[in-house]
Amino acid sequence: MNLSTRVMLNRLTQQCVYKRIVTFSTKTAEHAIENQEEQKKEAPPTTPTPPVNRKPIIPANYRFVYPEFLPDPKVEWRNLVREKLERLDMLDRRKQIDLPEFYVGSVLAVTSSDPHAAGKTSRFVGICINRDRCGLRARFILRNVIDHQGMEVVYELYDPTIQKIEVLRLEKRLDDSLLYLRDALPEYSTFDENMEAEPLEEGAPVPVNDIKVVLRPRPWLERWERQNLRGVANIDEYLKDKHRLSAAKMQKPWEKYDMMKDYRSSIPEEEQTEIFAEVHTELHTLELQRKRNKRKRTFIKPKQLA
Amino acid sequence: MMRSVINQFLGLRLSGNCSVMVTQVRDKGHLSRPRQRNPQWFLRKEITKYNDLMTAENKQFVNEVGTDNYGVKKDNLVKTAEPSANEAVWTPNLRRCGVIARKIGQYPLWLKNGERIRTTLLQIADNHVIKYIPPEEYLPAQVPTVANLHKRGCILVGSETTNPALLTKEYAGIFRNSGVLPKKNLARFIVSPEAQLEPGTPLSVNHFRIGDFVDVRGKTVDHGFQGVVKRHGFKGMPASHGVTKTHRRAGNIGGGGEKGRVWPGTKMPGHMGNRWRKIKGLRVWRINSKYNVMWVQGSSVPGPTGGLVYIYDTILPLRRNKEAPPFPTFYGEPQQDGDDVWYEKVHNFKSESITYENE
Repeated sequence: MNLSTRVMLNRLTQQCVYKRIVTFSTKTAEHAIENQEEQKKEAPPTTPTPPVNRKPIIPANYRFVYPEFLPDPKVEWRNLVREKLERLDMLDRRKQIDLPEFYVGSVLAVTSSDPHAAGKTSRFVGICINRDRCGLRARFILRNVIDHQGMEVVYELYDPTIQKIEVLRLEKRLDDSLLYLRDALPEYSTFDENMEAEPLEEGAPVPVNDIKVVLRPRPWLERWERQNLRGVANIDEYLKDKHRLSAAKMQKPWEKYDMMKDYRSSIPEEEQTEIFAEVHTELHTLELQRKRNKRKRTFIKPKQLA
Repeated sequence: MMRSVINQFLGLRLSGNCSVMVTQVRDKGHLSRPRQRNPQWFLRKEITKYNDLMTAENKQFVNEVGTDNYGVKKDNLVKTAEPSANEAVWTPNLRRCGVIARKIGQYPLWLKNGERIRTTLLQIADNHVIKYIPPEEYLPAQVPTVANLHKRGCILVGSETTNPALLTKEYAGIFRNSGVLPKKNLARFIVSPEAQLEPGTPLSVNHFRIGDFVDVRGKTVDHGFQGVVKRHGFKGMPASHGVTKTHRRAGNIGGGGEKGRVWPGTKMPGHMGNRWRKIKGLRVWRINSKYNVMWVQGSSVPGPTGGLVYIYDTILPLRRNKEAPPFPTFYGEPQQDGDDVWYEKVHNFKSESITYENE
């Protein structure tokens, strides 16, 4: 038997719970069970267990708060040294600028340096409609409608020309990507440029906004009826039978049972804990710093009455 | 017909500046023809592995004996020459040794003016010089395309140490007088005799400096048998409007007349990739001495992630070294800062956000 199967068997024996008691004595099995229990009680005081090296307990939501720390699951592109160096660079950048927690559906204001703008900075407020890619390439799209003109800006999270990212409204939506806002009525993408930040209680879960958006009449930029969107109200209004039939034909209801597809498109949990364990201490320090700054800000700005 | 027109042009005797060069498709076979090399069995590298049916404890014992006797112990190695002994002075026409690296990935960096650049990471892991062959003794079976080969020697460099128990005696014998354990990969670098190195000299990423330009040679990604659209960038034909069964085909492959045949070198479907290609003039933006990693310009380093590449000083005339690089190589310990060395134009992530000043 070669080494690998031996190791596998050892692991299996450790994991299995044997309820069968084997005795080589003439006494009955019940007696053997009692003996074993007595032995277990005697054992602990004699041998002190060595101190267990505990890894920091990583919060379960880290994979959602810092999704860009997880590398691209494509095996051909993965390399541990490169990923480690990339993570170090990401942490270095995070020490210079506070990159807050946000989700698709949150309203952000991004101040970035612009060589062509007056005052050399430009501020854009918009709703995050998409979050893309991993590592230093991580980016997000902000959408807003200004003077009846819809516009979107793609920002790279780790771009050093970005000076500040403020989350004006932290919330989630029913879908992972809000690209359908391009075909929705403009009021769903309009946000005031001078909007104030809406504070959220500390420790409260991120609210889910279950608003259902109304789409404009066809033609649309994408075939929204094929994408099983939960955040759209009137998708059926502009569909003909042929659209419904082709959408039904394109459905892949077996994909939710495809475990291998899910495995290939995600990083396994053990690896995720390893990755976040590496960066946990630094990220935690930054979070504490952010909380301190937040408290300072609320203290410094007292409200003027009348 | 083209030839006659060009001959007339030549007959005009234009002013000395312009020269009419004609390279036809059929003259470029050297770019896509695979060069024949020795078959793999010419020097067998790995022994046939039989299932020894050893117990796990015995295997562990053998590994322990191996690491005890041949593990990393600096006194076992051949003493490399001290820098003072090898007083070689660099001149621009001298040719230095190269290194063997692995392409480990790509990620973006930003310049101080806000521009985003694509960079490829190359890791120079565990390189040692195995042998130096002086020009008088060097008679290669496969002659490299290098100028003045008769005046130049050859340095054999190896990377990535392996277990010698898995290698043939002939292959392991190459490393006998080098003072290092046998390596997985070997490469030859044609060098000037002034740039010779002692066997056992380690080569690290500090052999190159930031701001230098390098040529990177590697075997391109193997795409297999590919059609003419992907292989040569043909446009194909429309998807509809009556086009019958011809969407990604080559179309016409030749004309008629006197030379009414398919000319040699006509672009057709065939095997794409898995060729040695050299990309020249890549700038080194950043160096990390701890992991022996360098960041080079661009994303067009040949080969897949994890593939082997060979790095040389560039031969491009406008990007060649003007100041002396570490010659013949970098000796000693690198700076113990732990920080990377960045080219001056690159924005260091540890510094503040980029702002533009009012003029």
